[in-house]
Amino acid sequence: MNQYITTFYSHFGAIRYKKLCDQYGCTAKVMPVPRSLSSSCGTCVGYTGEEHIIDEKYLDEIEQIVMVVSDGYEIIYSSEDE
Amino acid sequence: MNIKKEKITIIIAAAIIGIIASLLVVFGNPTNMGFCIACFLRDTSGALGLHKAEPVQYIRPEIIGLVLGSFAMALWKKEFSVKGGSAPVTRFILGAFAMIGCLMFLGCPFRTVLRLAGGDLNAIWGLIGFALGIGVGILFLNKGYSLKRTYKQVAAEGFVFPIIQVVLLILVIAAPSIIMFTPEGGGPGAKHAAIIISLIAGLIVGALAQRTRLCMVGGIRDFILFRESKLLIGFVVVFASALICNLILTGVGVGTLFNLGFEGQPVAHTDALWNALGMILAGFACTLLGGCPLRQLVLSGEGNTDSVITVYGLMVGAAFAHNFKLASSADGPTLNGKIAVVIGLVVVAAIAVANTMGKSKEQ
Repeated sequence: MNQYITTFYSHFGAIRYKKLCDQYGCTAKVMPVPRSLSSSCGTCVGYTGEEHIIDEKYLDEIEQIVMVVSDGYEIIYSSEDE
Repeated sequence: MNIKKEKITIIIAAAIIGIIASLLVVFGNPTNMGFCIACFLRDTSGALGLHKAEPVQYIRPEIIGLVLGSFAMALWKKEFSVKGGSAPVTRFILGAFAMIGCLMFLGCPFRTVLRLAGGDLNAIWGLIGFALGIGVGILFLNKGYSLKRTYKQVAAEGFVFPIIQVVLLILVIAAPSIIMFTPEGGGPGAKHAAIIISLIAGLIVGALAQRTRLCMVGGIRDFILFRESKLLIGFVVVFASALICNLILTGVGVGTLFNLGFEGQPVAHTDALWNALGMILAGFACTLLGGCPLRQLVLSGEGNTDSVITVYGLMVGAAFAHNFKLASSADGPTLNGKIAVVIGLVVVAAIAVANTMGKSKEQ
């Protein structure tokens, strides 16, 4: 199992994504973005799962998805790269 | 960095910020106004001739320092990221009305805390109003409010605002005749610490605020939304450290930095209702903006051009507030100010509704 954090452009995006995670059966939590991940102070969703969760329907609200690794975070998806 | 470490960092940073704010008064700033983002942007607007209220005209080096401190820290930590394009016109309007709310109360959220630390009990109404305004904003956040995403912009765009701060620094040092400064004894604008002291204070606070994401709106918002107390602790520690510092400095006879009560408080009035309503407007607008005026300055330094637009909105709002006699004085609020705050609440609510509509159904 891996730990992921998804950050968003809006608080509501996080709420919707949390529901998506629930549908996938992942344990997810809506929380402030960790300082170590970003200097922005938005809302993120932290969850545990085999794979990261991404859905076309929610793509325009997602800023980035990272996987928590031993020395920090590994970027899985970033909207800036799209 | 884990949560515990983050909390310790924010406690230390906030304690330093509280001490600096208290000391700035000793060095010459108006009482209970070691820092006030609203007042200082208003003073800067006046110095640049955007309004003609002579008692409040001075280019405040603290503002320059806050932006440049954040800018330097963001560059150093490789967090300088140039982005924008998230409803800039709406942000400008929200910034202007946030300022009108602040100038009804006579202080930004930062000064609310500092006024309390100086014993000004009128600030309690401001704080209650501010929290209520954030609560209203959160209702919209939960219903889908969003000003949509930001986009990466060219690096040069992010350097413009810090460069403008350097130009302002040159202007305050050179003091050419085109810049308007409040004459000695002419009002709060004439009360200021030496430029170098104000600048260094701003640089330190800007750097610390960038590292800790200190935000007066964020503190209350995160606590209501997630029961996350980290930023709120920062808020409380700024109050506690400024209070202790004020009490010590008053005790040793440096000056009267603590005076408990409602009456006769510096740059304040006693109208509880309008103190609260002004800060409801400020809290509501700032929640929709995603941060308090201090945070907007810090984000401007990090390369967020939406925050730059918001700061310009705050400055223009300050100019309107004085040109149209919307700003309160020690005598209390003005009729024009009351009308403007009501209009502001309607406009901010309309912005909230317009940027929320239809989202709940998407859920």
